[in-house]
Amino acid sequence: MLVTGIKSKPVYAPLQADTAGRYHLMLGHGVGGAPLLSLLDELGRSGPLSAGRACVLYVADSAAADNFGVRFRTSASDVRFFDRVAELLAEFRTILTGSFMGTRLYVAGPESFIGLAMKIALEFDLNKDEIRAEECGTLARRVYCIHCRATTEQVRTNIVKCIDCGRHLIVRDHYSRRFAAYMGVMVDAEVPGELPPIKENFV
Amino acid sequence: MKHAVTIAVEVTAVEQVTPLIKHFTLAPIAGGTMPAFSGGSHIIVVMRRANRVHRNPYSLMSPPGRLEAYEISVRRMEESRGGSHFMHDEVGVGSQLEIAHPVNLFGLDKIARKHVLIAGGIGITPFMAQLQDLHAANVPYEMHYSVRAPEHAAFRDQLIEQEGDRLRMYYDSANELIDFEALLGSQPLGTHVYVCGPAGMIERVIGTARACGWSDSHIHWEQFSAPPVGDAFDAFLARSKLKIHVLPDQSLLESIEAAGVDVPYLCRGGVCGFCHTKVVELEGELIHNDHFLSAEEKASGKFMMPCVSRARCKNLVLDL
Repeated sequence: MLVTGIKSKPVYAPLQADTAGRYHLMLGHGVGGAPLLSLLDELGRSGPLSAGRACVLYVADSAAADNFGVRFRTSASDVRFFDRVAELLAEFRTILTGSFMGTRLYVAGPESFIGLAMKIALEFDLNKDEIRAEECGTLARRVYCIHCRATTEQVRTNIVKCIDCGRHLIVRDHYSRRFAAYMGVMVDAEVPGELPPIKENFV
Repeated sequence: MKHAVTIAVEVTAVEQVTPLIKHFTLAPIAGGTMPAFSGGSHIIVVMRRANRVHRNPYSLMSPPGRLEAYEISVRRMEESRGGSHFMHDEVGVGSQLEIAHPVNLFGLDKIARKHVLIAGGIGITPFMAQLQDLHAANVPYEMHYSVRAPEHAAFRDQLIEQEGDRLRMYYDSANELIDFEALLGSQPLGTHVYVCGPAGMIERVIGTARACGWSDSHIHWEQFSAPPVGDAFDAFLARSKLKIHVLPDQSLLESIEAAGVDVPYLCRGGVCGFCHTKVVELEGELIHNDHFLSAEEKASGKFMMPCVSRARCKNLVLDL
């Protein structure tokens, strides 16, 4: 079974401003704050970052010892902080509901965070040419069990025990934008209990 | 590549819908039904005249679910190379024609959250079938239809009855212009805009949408260019080892076909890119008239779209 080298694995790139956009919406998690600050600098050179032009939603995490809060507040007028990713995503959805064509989305943070944001963006028909994402922070994956359909979070190893059905899943590079998760397939179906070596691939 | 087999059809009804537009109903001579299609599709109508063959693209206008016959509308073009005059003057009930299978280069986006349709004049044709598709979909849309004057508004009564307040008419004769800035400046996320009409209108819609921050994946347009008339020129087909002469009112593609060489095509209007041809040698200049090649590709002189583009040259060798 093909585990790596699968085309659906998302590709990310350092954030760059798309000045063709009229409204710039930025989502950051943890160390994702740094690329967003550079982006605000870049955008700021083409005009003031008023609340009608740019908005930052940010969740800190314990790994990023940051003073992003202060620096964001001095860079843009509409900056909103959240304690949890779920709260940030709820606000993100509310903003998209009232947004207009001309919006550009920028996401910076761990891939699982990017994936969850993209999943919501997809519901609003934001296309590739309206979204830019930069991966930074942990490579831990969300893994979708193709047998019981549960999603296991924060997976760092090539083999993981499904949080719901308990099957041992091999984590493939096959990525679903709709589920914002990588596909996990039972690895010891032929010989129960016989597992390949477990490695920490996604740290 | 050999083209898909054409379908023999008979004209079963002709209606003069405006002073310049005729509407034709085409039923399969063999009986049965026509191939299924989606709104925005076009067909190529093959018109065989004594010494010339015309192949012109026309949008399908009948409801996509109704396949007993296709319907198309043809506007009489002042500077016709013969196709639209042939349809207007020589085709009547009982005439037999050939058509190519439908192709859709102007389909509705399937995951759009809203559609904004903009038509200028005869540009209403692809929307007639798309509107039928939209009636079956649970997605908001609005239709903006601009014409010279009420008597030139093809299908106006039908559209007003069918679309109600989702339709807005604009008449040049009453100085009513579409305010593109207002229309495109505050559309909800996930809106797609579609425009079909005169070149100037298409350019304004694309330009205004981009200025309002729309990304290109949400902007759709269709404009079939008629092959422009120009000076006669010669070309050599390298692989076929044939010399061809292109008449002033003949397209390069038509001339290649008349020599018995098949070139793949879908639209014959400079849009689809199928007839993309490599230029092997050129002494002179290419006259690009297509909407497919990028400015860089056009400037390189290495490619051309023979359906609408010509050359002013001493020597032109094509990889055909």
